[in-house]
Amino acid sequence: MSKTDDTKLIERCIHGDRGAFEALLVEYEKPVFNAAYRMLNNRDDARDVTQTVFLKVFENFGQFDPSRRFFSWIYRITLNESINWLGKQNRLEPLLFDAADEGKGPEQELESTRVSAGVQAALMTIKTDYRTVVILKHFLGCSYVEISEVLEIPEKTVKSRLYTARQQLKDALTGLH
Amino acid sequence: MAIEQKFSDLIHADIDGEISATEKIELQTFLDEDTEGRALHDELASLCTTLDHVEQEEPPTFMRHIIMNSVPPTRVAEKPPGFLQVLLATPALKYAATFAAGVFLTLSIINSSQLSNHAFDDVTGLVGSVADPVHSKLASSVAVNEVDIAGTVSLRSVGSLLILDFDLVSKDHIDVEAAYTDRTIWFNGFAQLESEGTTVAAETGLVRLGMQGKRRYAVYLQNEGGRETTVSLRFTADGKVVHQARLDYAPAT
Repeated sequence: MSKTDDTKLIERCIHGDRGAFEALLVEYEKPVFNAAYRMLNNRDDARDVTQTVFLKVFENFGQFDPSRRFFSWIYRITLNESINWLGKQNRLEPLLFDAADEGKGPEQELESTRVSAGVQAALMTIKTDYRTVVILKHFLGCSYVEISEVLEIPEKTVKSRLYTARQQLKDALTGLH
Repeated sequence: MAIEQKFSDLIHADIDGEISATEKIELQTFLDEDTEGRALHDELASLCTTLDHVEQEEPPTFMRHIIMNSVPPTRVAEKPPGFLQVLLATPALKYAATFAAGVFLTLSIINSSQLSNHAFDDVTGLVGSVADPVHSKLASSVAVNEVDIAGTVSLRSVGSLLILDFDLVSKDHIDVEAAYTDRTIWFNGFAQLESEGTTVAAETGLVRLGMQGKRRYAVYLQNEGGRETTVSLRFTADGKVVHQARLDYAPAT
């Protein structure tokens, strides 16, 4: 969805239009849930965080800066909520993969789950600062500039974190195999 | 020998598609001459391909519905009321209509001991009184968040009328039982919004409903003494209990 489309929907949301909010929900439900899931490694926690994110978005439309892009706002809220959740739970980040795939053949499912499990396990071994850039880059498809916008850090820092994260992920994946 | 930082950065930028034409030529020259650089490029490209191809998780089935149920109602400009709305805006008439609907349904459903396959046709005013929370007081509410069914059920009160407000969605057929132990409370009506297809049957102390899909409906109970009471809810799919909950009503002190 383009920035213009999002802006129009947000204007309607500010005026209390639930239909516009539902359109944003349809558009961003999956990426928000996936970002939370990759941060937390638990579907139930990701669901709770996703619900919190959308409620916060709904309650704070008035504070949205229209000069920014909506995705950078909602992704930032998602990552912050996920980090807060990790802090509140004070949990050890588990390496086990919480898979719940549906609708695939057994062989495809096995391979897909194996790859996904390996990546998820590796992701959980790296610091959250690094995990966030990997999620934004590889799971949400953001560019360096967009990651910089979401995290409000210089593009140079984005690159530095991303490059370090990849090195650590590479080592972690090698160690897991 | 370690790869110079500049070329390491160029390798990452190349894989990310964020490299300029000049940088690309410079990197290519480097890779042509440096086997370690080529190895790093291949390793990182492989890693990024793996990351980019991890399948996206599908969000839980009812998450969208639950989120939409959690946000406040739409604030839109009110349309001028129609004749029926004006008529039913008078509390005495509204309650009389509620009572009449309840009596009609009670007679047609309870006495025949059969399930009704159709909603009562003329319940506009009644539904309006449920949908507008300004006119009723919320006593308690529960969220249902199961694989088979999700949404909210609220218990509201208006005078001596208790309103069970169901806002639910299910993939397959679900049976819902609302049980209350106070035998002085009686079933006083049923209304549904937006859709048909909910079935209802009532007996002393128990209302049974059947539903499938996205449904918004209300069950009216007459609590003449305004007594404190509890409604126990049980949701079953294929005879198996999938969720249980309770709603409490306590009169204002």
